[in-house]
Amino acid sequence: MSNIDRRSLVKGSLAAMMAGAAFSRAAFAQSSEPILLGVSGPLTGPNAQYGAQWKQGFDLALDEIMAAGGINGRKLAYQFEDSQSDPRQSVAIAQKFVSDARIVMELGDFSSPASMAASPIYQRGGLVQFGFTNSHPDFTKGGDFMWSTSVSQADEQPLLASYAVRRLGLKKLAVLHLNTDWGRTSRDHFVKAAKEYGAEIAVTEGYIAEERDFRSTLVRVRDANPDGLILISYYSDGALIARQARQVGLKQTICAASSVYSPKFLELGGEAVEDVHLGTRYFPQDPRPEVKKFITGFKAKYGGQEPDAFNAYSYDAMNMAAAVLKIGGTDRRAIRDAFAKVKDVSSVIFGSATFDVESRRVKGAMNAELVVRKGQFALWDGKPT
Amino acid sequence: MASWLDYTINGLIVGNVYALVAVGLALIFGVSRLINFAQGSIYLVGAYIGWVAVVQLHTPLLLTIIVVAVAAAIVGLIIERFGLRPLQNSVRIAPLLATIGISFVLDQLVMLTFSPNPRALPSQLPDVRFQVGNGTIGPLDLLIASVGIASALLLFVFLRYTKLGWAVRATAQDRDAAMQMGVDVNRVNQAVFGIAAALGGVSGMLVGMYYNQIDTAMSLQATLKGVVAEVVGGAGNVPGAVVGSLLLGLVESYGVAVFGTSYRNLFAFLLLVVVLVLRPNGLFASARQAPPEPLTGTFIAPSRPVRIPRWALLVAVGGFAILPLFPVSFYVLQTLINAWLLGMLALSLTLVAGTVGQVSLGHAALLAIGAYTAALLSLAFSVPVGLAIIGGGLMSAALGTLLISPSFRLRGHYVSIATLAIGEIVSLVILNWESVTRGPIGISGIPPLSLFGYDLISPASVYWFSLAVMVVLALLQGRLLASHLGRSFRAIRDDDIAGRAYGLSLNRYKSLAFIFGGFAAGVSGGIAAHLYSYINHETFNTQQSILALTVVILGGLGNVVGAILGSVALVGLPEVFRIAAEYRILIYGIVLLLLVRFRPQGLLGTI
Repeated sequence: MSNIDRRSLVKGSLAAMMAGAAFSRAAFAQSSEPILLGVSGPLTGPNAQYGAQWKQGFDLALDEIMAAGGINGRKLAYQFEDSQSDPRQSVAIAQKFVSDARIVMELGDFSSPASMAASPIYQRGGLVQFGFTNSHPDFTKGGDFMWSTSVSQADEQPLLASYAVRRLGLKKLAVLHLNTDWGRTSRDHFVKAAKEYGAEIAVTEGYIAEERDFRSTLVRVRDANPDGLILISYYSDGALIARQARQVGLKQTICAASSVYSPKFLELGGEAVEDVHLGTRYFPQDPRPEVKKFITGFKAKYGGQEPDAFNAYSYDAMNMAAAVLKIGGTDRRAIRDAFAKVKDVSSVIFGSATFDVESRRVKGAMNAELVVRKGQFALWDGKPT
Repeated sequence: MASWLDYTINGLIVGNVYALVAVGLALIFGVSRLINFAQGSIYLVGAYIGWVAVVQLHTPLLLTIIVVAVAAAIVGLIIERFGLRPLQNSVRIAPLLATIGISFVLDQLVMLTFSPNPRALPSQLPDVRFQVGNGTIGPLDLLIASVGIASALLLFVFLRYTKLGWAVRATAQDRDAAMQMGVDVNRVNQAVFGIAAALGGVSGMLVGMYYNQIDTAMSLQATLKGVVAEVVGGAGNVPGAVVGSLLLGLVESYGVAVFGTSYRNLFAFLLLVVVLVLRPNGLFASARQAPPEPLTGTFIAPSRPVRIPRWALLVAVGGFAILPLFPVSFYVLQTLINAWLLGMLALSLTLVAGTVGQVSLGHAALLAIGAYTAALLSLAFSVPVGLAIIGGGLMSAALGTLLISPSFRLRGHYVSIATLAIGEIVSLVILNWESVTRGPIGISGIPPLSLFGYDLISPASVYWFSLAVMVVLALLQGRLLASHLGRSFRAIRDDDIAGRAYGLSLNRYKSLAFIFGGFAAGVSGGIAAHLYSYINHETFNTQQSILALTVVILGGLGNVVGAILGSVALVGLPEVFRIAAEYRILIYGIVLLLLVRFRPQGLLGTI
């Protein structure tokens, strides 16, 4: 189908959809079957922890959605298929979801290879692939059925660079980054912004996800003599690097990307992460109502456990899905078009989220400047450490 | 330069960490001639038992160590008794596969019990640090070093001066002779597994304290580094394992110093390949050590291959060919497409492993070479997709054979370890060679499969295309095996000394096998690249190499139909168990163990 054909088809079907949505809403209100979302993500394998965190966020959001009356009176449920974040499995899952008429939208997968390998199938099958951890710059270029609430690193990294360079006054930086598509893209955006703000990048070091020993890397960092360390890391490796940096005697200020924001970062890092600065998209003391609601709900449901970033992403994703379904009904194409129509959806990460139709991503992530004080995340009071 | 002192100290410290795993591996290899891929899982179990002891029961350090050692030893005894002892008289590869299955089961049990979230395992030693050079050393570093060195020393004394130690060494040298002299070989094995597991468990706990972090993904990395360290030192040699570990740590540390962090593991695996090429038995192999035995060859299971009549094969192929004409779901077709792609890889591996006896654990590298070649040809040079895939096959055949050729003079387990290393090296080169491979960002927007200008987009057409390619490759391979060349291949597998005496040039025949095999694997990778439209260095990982090996063993070594049957079964099984979600890898591991136990020659038997 050529582009022109597709566009006119969309236009032509818009009117029909309005009528159709009303009809389907009536029809489905009677149906007792829940509206079903497909989730493709890791439940086993090396990324299993993230799948487990997704579930917590989803389940919390679902409880709230149900309590508020579901999707126009219908129940909402998800079917979680374990892909291990392996592209061979995510493509099979994609076919499964595409050919299962009950599935109205898909969420995931976790990593870029697994997500983007499945994209062509979702695109051809006309099923929305809603990637909420997919910050790979090319993810939403897979087609008009790919949408994402993952914060583009082009948005987030300049905020971190501004925090480090302008606010904390760090002029010579060492950047340590996870050597994945995410870490690499983030690093490039960070370095570009930091240079614009007048900082010098003394050294950049990429490490692979399985790495546990950073001592020799840190000697390289020490020899470059920076006045700040920037960690583009997840919480587990971020905590490791901070610990080992303190152990080998590095005393420089550490700044980290929002992905370290997790109670686990404090638990794993211990005293070593004291005074670490980080930008984050939400934190428990944030007075915004959507954050308060999320934190209290999460703690109540999971025995006092503090939520972290991945919990928030999945919680937001499920709420976004619900908002889209309320407009789009259960027709797959109508759901795709509804993404362009949802406005100001209450969101932990964005405050209120609206999609940019061009990039099919949400713009304007909230950013709070935090610092670890006495083993807790706290708003930075502007005092140097 | 002062920094060199720091790099040296750091290398020795992390070398110590590797030594804790490597010593256990060496001990088991010394007695059972088995690379125990479950050692990393015992290390994982030890770390979590340590967590329960420290965080829940608040045990003091000494008691923690004892609790972990005893509990891990019990796990080791159970593995030996129920996982490995029943396999004593089966193919050599069977226990190796069983340890892989056991590691799946153990890892999953830990994950289900403790959740996959990482946990903090606080060190029970005071947090003081001594200044050395410009860096510092803490008490835990010293404890790890002393545990590593002390256990190596104790083992040395045990092996040299105790009666059970003599029995262990006698069993290691010649199992049958030891049995005839009245050594209770089973008791020896038990003792060795118990000791190795206790060591493994304690090391997991110590390393967990060292990093203040344990998670369920730590087991594979531990095994990988442990195996490298052990083989560098000389498989089965306990002091060698310690020296090999320290050397590995140093090489990694100096590698980071000179080239940067992203090259770290590259140097670890290069070290392994270099050592294997220069000293095939490791650095500290004694001259008296018996040469390693081939993994397959004379140890091939005494089985009669199941002959499937030609008409039945025709019916099966015909049945699969007309399947898309029926109203089957695309999910079934996609699962079978995965099976056909894995089938091509399995054909490749069964040719080199089953027919020439070169057990490869790095076969995913051939997929990656084929995939990147095909993707780059069609993207950067606008080569038609069909030709690009053939180009991928040719590149895998040429480059793959060239890379693997250093392993041709190796035998037995060393071939698998060398190929494992080469697989890792290829993946790391892809990660680092950014100007060509685009590094971690990967290659996106690869055009879809097409043939003579027609896009193959519908699942049915992709299905037919991959089925047809696989059938053609299988027919070619069947033809090859029935020829004189095929007989020469099997002669090399069964007895390479006799083969050489008969005038067969081993390297040339091994190369031929890898060229044919590399082509099939490269084509599979090329098709996958165009099917996925996005690939990066993680797309074709060690997991796939292990899966391919499992398929080949399951089907029956060297058995063409078996490889395809195995692919359908092993792609299908996890899909069948998909409803079991978190439990499915556990079930897969158990099924693998049962198959190895009750049908070690494979479903269709070895040709």
